[in-house]
Amino acid sequence: MRMVRTGLWSFRFSTAALVLIPAAVGINYIGKLFVELLKLPLWVDSIGTVLSSMLAGPIIGALVGIVNNVIYGFTTSPVSFVYAITSAVIGLVTGIMAYKGWISNIGKALVLGFVVGLIAATVSTPLNISFWEGTTGNVWGDALFAWMTAQGNPLWLASFADSVVVDVPDKMVTVLISFLIFRNLPEKVLTMYDTKQEIERL
Amino acid sequence: MRNMTLYVHPENGSPIHRMDPLTKMLYVFTSVAISYLLPSHLLVSLVLAVSILLLVDGKVFRSILPIIGVSFVLLASILVVQGFFHPDRATVLWEIGPFTLYKEGFSIAFLILLRVLNMVCAFGVLILTTKPDELVETLVQKGLSPRFGYVLLSVLQIIPQMMTLTGKIMDAQRARGLEMEGSLWVRVKSFIPLLGPVVLRSLAETRERSIALEVRGFNSTGKRTRLHELPLYPYGVAAKALLAAILLTVIVWRIWS
Amino acid sequence: MSLLHVEQLKYRYPNRSVLALDEISFTVNKGEFIGIAGRNTAGKTTLCYALCGLVPHFFKGAYGGRILLDGDEILASPLSKITSKVGFVFENPFSQLSGAKFTVADEIAFGLENLGLPREVMHERIQDSLHMLGIEHLRQKNPFDLSGGQMQRLAIASVIAMQPEILVLDEPTSQLDPQGAEEVFTIVEKLTQDGMTIVMAEQKMEKLAAYSDRILLLHEGKLIQDGEPAAVFSREDLMELGVEPPIYTTVAKKHGLRKESTGCFPVTLEELLAFDLDEPLEGLFPVQEKIETSNIQIEELSFSYPDGQKVLDSITLGLSSEPIAIVGQNGAGKTTLVKLMKALLIPSDGRIVIDETDTKATTAAKLAKKVGLIFQNPDDQIFKKSVLDEVMFGPLNMGIDKAEAKSLALQQLEAVGLAEKAEENPYDVSLAERKLIGVASILAMDPDIIIFDEPTMGQDYEGKLRLKGIIADLHSKGKLVICILHDMDFVSEVFGRTIVMGQGKVLFDGSTKDVFSQLDIVQRAKIELPHRYQIARAIQQKREFASPTS
Repeated sequence: MRMVRTGLWSFRFSTAALVLIPAAVGINYIGKLFVELLKLPLWVDSIGTVLSSMLAGPIIGALVGIVNNVIYGFTTSPVSFVYAITSAVIGLVTGIMAYKGWISNIGKALVLGFVVGLIAATVSTPLNISFWEGTTGNVWGDALFAWMTAQGNPLWLASFADSVVVDVPDKMVTVLISFLIFRNLPEKVLTMYDTKQEIERL
Repeated sequence: MRNMTLYVHPENGSPIHRMDPLTKMLYVFTSVAISYLLPSHLLVSLVLAVSILLLVDGKVFRSILPIIGVSFVLLASILVVQGFFHPDRATVLWEIGPFTLYKEGFSIAFLILLRVLNMVCAFGVLILTTKPDELVETLVQKGLSPRFGYVLLSVLQIIPQMMTLTGKIMDAQRARGLEMEGSLWVRVKSFIPLLGPVVLRSLAETRERSIALEVRGFNSTGKRTRLHELPLYPYGVAAKALLAAILLTVIVWRIWS
Repeated sequence: MSLLHVEQLKYRYPNRSVLALDEISFTVNKGEFIGIAGRNTAGKTTLCYALCGLVPHFFKGAYGGRILLDGDEILASPLSKITSKVGFVFENPFSQLSGAKFTVADEIAFGLENLGLPREVMHERIQDSLHMLGIEHLRQKNPFDLSGGQMQRLAIASVIAMQPEILVLDEPTSQLDPQGAEEVFTIVEKLTQDGMTIVMAEQKMEKLAAYSDRILLLHEGKLIQDGEPAAVFSREDLMELGVEPPIYTTVAKKHGLRKESTGCFPVTLEELLAFDLDEPLEGLFPVQEKIETSNIQIEELSFSYPDGQKVLDSITLGLSSEPIAIVGQNGAGKTTLVKLMKALLIPSDGRIVIDETDTKATTAAKLAKKVGLIFQNPDDQIFKKSVLDEVMFGPLNMGIDKAEAKSLALQQLEAVGLAEKAEENPYDVSLAERKLIGVASILAMDPDIIIFDEPTMGQDYEGKLRLKGIIADLHSKGKLVICILHDMDFVSEVFGRTIVMGQGKVLFDGSTKDVFSQLDIVQRAKIELPHRYQIARAIQQKREFASPTS
């Protein structure tokens, strides 16, 4: 099928869009691999998800998020299945905001990262509470959680804080890196995902 | 690098290997769901015991240990945070220096621990004994879009290919004077020169791969066929019915009691 | 009626201002072999895309004129219907794999499943195409484990199994080594004999001349000529259009040998040998002036990978004074050797000393000023937004200030002929041009020793000419040039000294002339003879055969 004319919410995927999914999941993996190799103090495992949302919109971005976690669950740790929803939301939010122009400059991109981080934390919190009474497995976040619960704060607040301190900086860095790479993409790739293209007659 | 899945194939296979992947998927769902529905340590332990038993029966018990290891930080964190800091602190269980382990917190932590362990083991039953292509094939023949089935399988083929790129890219950038070791700033600066080529290359490649797929009728709208016939799975329906019945019973029991 | 009828075809890619195809008309009849010749930007690939419907259905853009396939207009047919009649195979073997199948047989089945064929038919067709392509023994292998030549044959098998009426091949061997290329050409020849209708774009003119019924000569999107190979290759302005005729034609031109019947030059070896000519073996190979350069001393060098696999086995070499070619089959250890010279790998045994520096005591980054290594695939390094930025990356890493780096980069882009594309995105230019960006990006660091790994692969006549110029220029500036090559014609035209490697050892090191006169070495290293040398030998043999007494 050709590149069917699609809007922001179309569920009819072009071949190019479907082929983007494995590539984006691969980018997530390799990004994480380089972070570990360079011993950077970051998490940054969703660059591919964010890039694919910027390129091909929220639905593809969300699919990349889900496929990423399913594959990660199959190949590394089953716990990752639980967070498939969070990953999907990251793709969704980035895709919508990118479409609305929030990647036109570096400042806006940072705001986008902040919002994505906040929403990711919001989605993760109920998951963390229902599956493991609120912790995240991140040492710094969990230390904060322990301190806050010991202080008598409600569980949901402690758990949310636990997620926020991890997710917000991480997603800001992720979106920043993705933005820097996105700016360098060639026209050849960009036009492939430009769904407004039509055949013109000469 | 070639094979990134956790699938283990013991000699001669095992009864679990020969089970319908869908039954195994339903098992994972049922097992995880009831472990969270059941409130007592004993009952959750029983659920966990079933998962472990299936792993042993599938001759893959050993392979689950490293997977549990990956979740170790999460498990340890639950134990520490809940055990020491859970708001319901009454009964002292243990005192280690200035810290006190409370029975209430520990009891909750232990229950979560059992549930998480069961989650890992139940998924292990599916992951360790099911070939991914068999799973996807089954799902496609049960109605998953073949185009989406393609996506799932190609991830497994393409990631190892992308991994082999990393060495080449590091060589190429070092040849142009890129330093990858040293201060944090030096390492941060080298991140985009390393990741950039992977991204550009794989995105440029999506163009060629799309062409290759179009040429081979990936987008045809007619009815598709599959080369491989699925094996007949014995007792598939019975097993699924049993699992569904168990899940239903637990739900009903939880609502009534 | 013709199978394919192209009428006034015009096409422009989205967001571009120039036409990629401009008023092209021709027809293809059943069973014909049509060659497409032209330089790298002539529009060959776009024309191939148009024949199989990817232009305009996949690429969009602006389209004019029409193509009739079996009487149906391509513009009005859905892509899946067109591709069931037109098979398409392109350059990169790797990205043609579906990427979701785990065995060769399943890979072939991919297209058949999409066509919805019954299972028995699929099995039959898989068997047939495996057999035809000579890859039955690979049936159960993972497609990604195959060599380039095998992958490309698999790509052809996958398309052939779908039983298209026409096969379109776009430079199917440009990214393969000579052995892989030969494997593919053998298949193409076989398909032609079986009566398959084929349209092939190709840089190896000897092959086009041998197979084609007609050749379409393209230049800047226009069809310059549609004629028999002899007529096309006899054109006086061929080189100006960026096309080098087959070597046989060049030799004939030199001697002024035209066929009486047509007035055209011969285009194949057989046709050339029909004439009585003398092509002496002497003077075929260059002798380069020996000058003062940096010096690489390799002593008793061995290298094994951590898994124990031995790649290099006690190599001793001294490299200096003149451009040096390193040749040998894939897996001979050539790339490993040059990586060791650049300190990207550490010797397992022995050592490499570059001027005074032992490579064990330095790093690749610190060697930047001394040794420049240009890798085979430029896509392993490209990440910047513009060609200029990409070339500036190396100099900036060396601590050179921005203005200086920019002038160095522009200078080198001028040298490789890409100055006017300095502001373009590297991925929006062709692969052959990206290779030249890779060259410029290392030359901009102005190293004393420059090592090229397969620079000629995928280059057209002009690209190769440019590389020759660059090597000569570097040599005249007192730089040491070392070059890994598969292209023996290029070796025999540029290098006075050649090192032959095989199975991790140096099989021969000496003058280029001597390499090719020692047939046992040529055979052991599995390298080809340069075309001109083949001609000279064939003439000699013909003469000996004609006058056995002498």
